[in-house]
Amino acid sequence: MEPFTQLTAVAAPLDIAKIDTGMIVPGRFQRIHRRPGHADFANAFLHDLRFDEYDQPRPDFVLNQPPYKDARILVTAADFGCGSSRESAAYAVLDYGFRALIGPGFGDVFYGNCMQNGVLPVVLADQAVQALRRQLIDAPGANVTVDLPNQTVTAPDGTRYAFDIDPTRKQRLINGLDDVGVTLTHLPDIEAFEARYRAEMPWLATII
Amino acid sequence: MNGPRSMFDRIWSRHVILGPAGGEQLLFVDRNVVHEALTFLAFDQLRIEGRKVRKPRQNIAVTDHFIPTVNRAAGAAGIANPEIRRVVEMIDENTREFGIEHFGMHDARQGISHVIGPELGLTQPGLLISCCDSHTATHGALGALPIPIGQSNQLRHVLATQTLWQKKPKAMRISVDGALPPHVTAKDVILAIIARIGIGGAVGHAVEYAGSTIRAMSIEGRMTICNMSIEAGARIGMIAPDDTTYAYLHGRPYAPQGADWDKALAYWRSLPSDAEARFDREISLDAAGLAPMVSWGTSPQDSSPITGRVPDPASAFDGEQRRRIERALEYMGLAPGTPLSSIRIDRVFIGSCTNGRIEDLRAAARVLKGRKAVVPAMVSPGSTGVKRQAEAEDLDRIFRDAGFEWRDSSCSMCTGSNGDLVARGERTASTTNRNFEGRQGPGALTHIMSPAMVAAAAVTGRLTDVRTL
Ligand code: SF4
Repeated sequence: MEPFTQLTAVAAPLDIAKIDTGMIVPGRFQRIHRRPGHADFANAFLHDLRFDEYDQPRPDFVLNQPPYKDARILVTAADFGCGSSRESAAYAVLDYGFRALIGPGFGDVFYGNCMQNGVLPVVLADQAVQALRRQLIDAPGANVTVDLPNQTVTAPDGTRYAFDIDPTRKQRLINGLDDVGVTLTHLPDIEAFEARYRAEMPWLATII
Repeated sequence: MNGPRSMFDRIWSRHVILGPAGGEQLLFVDRNVVHEALTFLAFDQLRIEGRKVRKPRQNIAVTDHFIPTVNRAAGAAGIANPEIRRVVEMIDENTREFGIEHFGMHDARQGISHVIGPELGLTQPGLLISCCDSHTATHGALGALPIPIGQSNQLRHVLATQTLWQKKPKAMRISVDGALPPHVTAKDVILAIIARIGIGGAVGHAVEYAGSTIRAMSIEGRMTICNMSIEAGARIGMIAPDDTTYAYLHGRPYAPQGADWDKALAYWRSLPSDAEARFDREISLDAAGLAPMVSWGTSPQDSSPITGRVPDPASAFDGEQRRRIERALEYMGLAPGTPLSSIRIDRVFIGSCTNGRIEDLRAAARVLKGRKAVVPAMVSPGSTGVKRQAEAEDLDRIFRDAGFEWRDSSCSMCTGSNGDLVARGERTASTTNRNFEGRQGPGALTHIMSPAMVAAAAVTGRLTDVRTL
């Protein structure tokens, strides 16, 4: 997975609370295949908010407005990603192009799944998120900076907000390690274990 | 480590690569079993990450949930529903690409993952076996340590590393002692256990089933017991290996042979819990008081002896339980106080990883011999091997003569993933493990029970005490 250190990019303000994983990826998109080099879940992302029943873009929806076309940071309202544990919600965020989310709180499982896929969800106090959103509405297309090593978010007006993150998770993101990556850092231990195990259980040689 | 130890503790420790006691530990996975269902997500993800399956030989794949039970000769091309067809094709493509052996729909070794593991001797005492399925605990019947995993991310982790991060659950022992009364089977024992401790009764625990009743059971019966651990809330269920286990395994295709067998046997004999081993929780049950069980509600804990009646919500011990019973009876269309043996049924199903083994088919056939089903009835054996064995014993003729459809092996009507669905409002007597709302199809009404009890229901058209036939 792609390491995350510092990102300066256009941020989009999304002012709807409690967007659950079923809205992030509607059920009918659940069985999409992900292929290398394709952003297969990009279309599914917030699909029913972005498009009407004739599959036409809703012009009033924030992400369909030109200044946010290249947004890579999404400023969310409360409880973004709550609801069922579907992992595709994190895929969709990433495939659509977001690398960082900033909000007052996220669904638990969704939060972990984002980290696992190289997306940084930043939790800030409610007032900070509101201030940020106001600035983005006043200056559409403005940049925000998310700095993971220093654990800060810098608003368009230069205000800097500090955020908390679990130190282990932070290191994993900075190093671009997902769960498999972390496990494989223990490969020497794993291989030593396997050698010992096989020596002690020779009858398994024919089947494992 | 000295001091008395449980079998679970012993096998778990044997597989810890690293990690603190009490925290997340990295476990070595001897064997991982993959089925088709949603597992393509794991393979997609590996492909995106450019990763390989680290130990292909320690993985086995089966097709069980989505394959048809009729018209198999036509292969995947014969599957009309394009989504189902695609799932069946994908497991073939994915296992070929990643170098995993796959028992596909035309393979003589095909079957439900939890049936073929033991049947082929892939499941052995002391092995840690992971499988992306809630009923993985079935493998524990041979003294293996079974761990169910998720179908996407967790499966991908096991494939990529042949290891698993887990926090050790607490240990619980459920002892059943005494001789089972006639016609009372392993299924009745596990339903009685679940009715007693509830669907969440063993949450957070690895269960060891012990006692003279369990010891006296065949491996098939023990598998039925362990299989439904998850319906009692436990992800892990195990039974100590003994001479019954060794006799069952001897000569199976993947079991050790010759000098290897002797070495393996010596190790297996060291696994059972020490007499003084301590468990975080203990429950005991007297086999003598048990009767054939049937479920009346929408959870496996809603089960009673067939001699009983549909419960009255008014007698519930609190408001929450009362509302739950009311909802269950409303869904099931049953009135409080109805004698269970008067409930009419519309069809029966025999199969699944709970009761689709040869012994189950024999038990049903014994009841059906010389009788006729009065409702639509079908059998889907738990594996192609079970099907062949049953045919060698002429059981298929008994089923057909009784009016049953003799189908191919699949999960079939257990969840209906392959399209074998119970119709809305249809009431079924089924040998499966779950009677949740809609489990066998939207609006389907499920009563779970043993194979002999399902056979009895088939010939009378109502839930029936097999002892009265
Ligand atoms: S038979 Fe039923 S419970 Fe068993 S693996 Fe198949 S679907 Fe799951």
